[in-house]
Amino acid sequence: MHPTSFENRLRRHAARNPLRDMGLRSAGMTRRALLGSIAAAGALAATGGSRAFAQERPLSLLTWDPYTDPRLVDMWQQETGGQIRSEIHISDPTSVNRLRAGETAVWDFVNLNNPWAREQLWPEQLIRDLPQDRFEPLYAQMKEKFAPPYKWAMSKDSEHLLGVVQRYETFDFVVNSDVISPQLAKDEGWDLFNNPDFAGRYGILAYEDWNVMDICMGAGIHPFKEKTAADLETFGETAMRWCTNAKLVTTDFVQLNLAILNGDIDLYFTGGTYTTSSARMEGLSNLHAVTPARGPADGKGGINWIELNSAVNNPDPHPRILDYLEWITTPDAAWIVSHGNGNLQPVSQMSQPELFSRYTAEELDALQWDEFDERIANAVEFDIVPQYDALYDLYTKAMRARS
Amino acid sequence: MASLDPRKAGPLAMAPVAALLVVGFLVPLVLVAWLSLMPERTFGLDAGLTLANYATAFEDGYIVPLGWSLFFAAATTAICLLVAWPMAKTLARRGSAFALVVTILVALPIFVSESVRLFGTALFLMPRGGILAGSLNALFGFQVGSILYTKTATLLGLVYVYLPFALFPMILGLSQVPRDQVEAARDLGASRWQVLREVELPNAMPGLLIGGLLVFVLAFGANTEANILGGQSVAVITKSIDQRFSYAQDWPLGSALTILVCAITAAVVFPVLERIDLDRLLRR
Repeated sequence: MHPTSFENRLRRHAARNPLRDMGLRSAGMTRRALLGSIAAAGALAATGGSRAFAQERPLSLLTWDPYTDPRLVDMWQQETGGQIRSEIHISDPTSVNRLRAGETAVWDFVNLNNPWAREQLWPEQLIRDLPQDRFEPLYAQMKEKFAPPYKWAMSKDSEHLLGVVQRYETFDFVVNSDVISPQLAKDEGWDLFNNPDFAGRYGILAYEDWNVMDICMGAGIHPFKEKTAADLETFGETAMRWCTNAKLVTTDFVQLNLAILNGDIDLYFTGGTYTTSSARMEGLSNLHAVTPARGPADGKGGINWIELNSAVNNPDPHPRILDYLEWITTPDAAWIVSHGNGNLQPVSQMSQPELFSRYTAEELDALQWDEFDERIANAVEFDIVPQYDALYDLYTKAMRARS
Repeated sequence: MASLDPRKAGPLAMAPVAALLVVGFLVPLVLVAWLSLMPERTFGLDAGLTLANYATAFEDGYIVPLGWSLFFAAATTAICLLVAWPMAKTLARRGSAFALVVTILVALPIFVSESVRLFGTALFLMPRGGILAGSLNALFGFQVGSILYTKTATLLGLVYVYLPFALFPMILGLSQVPRDQVEAARDLGASRWQVLREVELPNAMPGLLIGGLLVFVLAFGANTEANILGGQSVAVITKSIDQRFSYAQDWPLGSALTILVCAITAAVVFPVLERIDLDRLLRR
């Protein structure tokens, strides 16, 4: 590869890393707009209009990164005049704990992986249910998998609709297809990381809750079922081996992709379309997201996450939160969500021809769209991990032992 | 207009900073200390006192990252002081345009984000397509390996980032060395080593100690170098603390580890600070 073009690619690639933007931010809020809002709020407060003030406050999103994309924020602002402020999650459980700790008064929108709404947020009254007559038709426009009543969008008694599904994919591992054939990777699955030949040849993307689930898979344990003492022991042994044998551990997937391109490693976990698509769009098609063909989770080896967009049970509900939840499923908004912050990601609305037709052949190739349904079929749906604390402690102990 | 009592002026002037330190430093530190005595994975401050988190810190492998952080901090301090000494001596002696240019060159990287600099270093060190290895291969046909994602790379990153913090106090310290004392020592037949040991080091010691302390404290709390350049080849204590507070949601154990780090830092810093005569350094 020519050094200059290679370096340019790396730079473009790095510039698209959404992790660079992690943390608190107020998207789309210029100084002038902020001063204007403060002045308007002051005037409204002086006139005693508490309801009017509520209409003026920014819509507050506790979310994963695509909903903070400036294009999406600007489009909402242009179409409604409303402001948006947002903060990106550290992890699902951290944000659930924040809502539990009283931040329902801070946020209007929460975007978490599928099990949290049904299992914890709704039973603890941290989110509001959605009017089914308004939102169920949206599910009819999605892939068959999401046909209503879709389990993860409903309360356990199937009475209440808890959110709208949008981004989804499988998140397992990534190989250099020039070194390991994707078919071999699918067939071998997680045993690739158990294979001594690959010791020192793989990296770990330290999305730590995902790493715990992956190590369960590699240890032959169903991540979403109760573990025995023997399971915990096997997990601990596997975690120690996998963490010790990893060449590189980082929270930055660009670093892992670069390590593959440089031949430093041949594969890494955890990874998927989310970590490979922007690099594949740049022509680096040897970065291949793999979902194992089989595994210990009811015969499946992959994990399929589905994000659910919900309305937080804010004591002062934002008047536009339901409009926003519906608006982000419209083709223009869904397209931006799918391309959020430079990262290409499948969305459930891609079954609508109006949206699907906007994707170029290169984009579909970057998404590995030809095998997407197969990957989803080979994956168990993400769920809450029983005994997570015990597993996480074993995992961090293994990480501490790296020396 | 009645003039302010000079005895009250000092405390009054100090009051805003003191209030800020109490609210922004002392209160959070007390809260963290208290939280470290709560049972594991609790969020309240009234769940019953226990030392279990400190026991866990010693029994559950946290000594390893603590040891690595201490090693990196000590090694970084030693290397920075050794590297900075000849530079500081030259710069303290030559108050010319040359000294100004070198000072600017050393200081300039401080104005660039640490992460950006470290990612740049990672690109430089990468094997094969990296700037160093790729250039050597393209220009001279050399095939070289790489130290990237090793402990050595972590140490290199720490020295690179924290060198200026050792250099500038050291220049200040060396400027305290009286030129006539050095010349007198030489006239009386002192060797270079004797001049260094008997004249330069004692006079420059305050600057040396301040520079060393700054580097030690900053390197002890560093995580980015081990993350970006070291590929987490070893876990450092700040990473472990971060994990307990975020993914593990175990604030009491995270707090206990934080207090241990603070205690070790204090055990190093306070005895050294006692030996520094700031009045002399600031020529008061």
